[in-house]
Amino acid sequence: MTSDSRAPTLAEIALTFAAISSTAFGGGQKASIRRQVLARGWMDEEHFMDGLEIAQVLPGPNLLNLAIYCGQRVRGIAGAIAAFLGASLPPFVIVLVAGALYFKYAANPYVHGGLRGCAAGALGLTLGNALELTWDQRGTWVRVALVALTALAVSLLKMPLLLVLVIFGGLGIAHEYVRSRA
Amino acid sequence: MTILHLLWTFAQLSVLGFGGGKGIIPQMHAEVVGRYHWVTSEQFTQFYTIGKLVPGPTTIFASLVGYAAMPRNPLAGATVAALAMFLPSSAIVVAFDALWQRFSASPWRAIVSRGLAPAVVGLVWSSVATISRGAPKSLVAYAVAGIVTLLMLRTKLDTPLLIVLAGAVGVVALR
Repeated sequence: MTSDSRAPTLAEIALTFAAISSTAFGGGQKASIRRQVLARGWMDEEHFMDGLEIAQVLPGPNLLNLAIYCGQRVRGIAGAIAAFLGASLPPFVIVLVAGALYFKYAANPYVHGGLRGCAAGALGLTLGNALELTWDQRGTWVRVALVALTALAVSLLKMPLLLVLVIFGGLGIAHEYVRSRA
Repeated sequence: MTILHLLWTFAQLSVLGFGGGKGIIPQMHAEVVGRYHWVTSEQFTQFYTIGKLVPGPTTIFASLVGYAAMPRNPLAGATVAALAMFLPSSAIVVAFDALWQRFSASPWRAIVSRGLAPAVVGLVWSSVATISRGAPKSLVAYAVAGIVTLLMLRTKLDTPLLIVLAGAVGVVALR
């Protein structure tokens, strides 16, 4: 196998991302996508980092976006579709099985207790996530203020998501623009 | 009718799902619990929890909302919700490829992604409030949540493992 631009088959693309998405627990999948696409010679480091940036700035799950970018890079639209199916079908099937079990057994008191415990755990994780992400914003007081104002506008004023993104996203972008010129 | 509402609700959330989709939880709750009553707050939180437990993107739990919204045809509901949740944002990635090359060296990329971040983080704080509405309200549950927060921040333990451990406490103490 040569290291420069060997076009993979669509099945290879789909299976590569299926393997990653069906074992994508916790974190580290970006690193494993990077390893796979570089080792297979689908693209170079620079194009991968480009893709990572696109995946993170556009709406949608980062991992799915990154898979689609990689698929498109190597095989165009067909590659993007193969990557989409590979990255989304295994999690979909797994969550369906989980859902079927949920609706069958959720009323069982032990399962119910377990689910309530899991929910408390997920709440803790979300709180931890919020704290971590807020810490990343500590660079300027404007960023921290925008975090707080957004949370208040959404939770107290029930501001719709689109408006939140326009107003607070817009202010954030304006702030970064001004900083970049300073 | 439900199928069209599912499609429209999740397609909107899909294109607004900046920051990996972390910020859409409050709006999703407002729509699927508050407006359409497809699921209760407790179910919403538990579906979100399952989304965190299974591999892949957390927002795949949209398909469980679709599953519950169409009790006579859960598979169709789940499929429509999942497609509406993932196809629009995916199409944007594909369409953006050409455009992005042009902005390749532009400082706007960093400005936009950094600029949107505080709003997304604010939305994550609101998600904490949203998720807590359907989480059990007892001293034990709050203690579990607090301990999981600490473990997440202070150790390298995997997310699903922490949820499973919390579930084990629940089987004993939250029935």
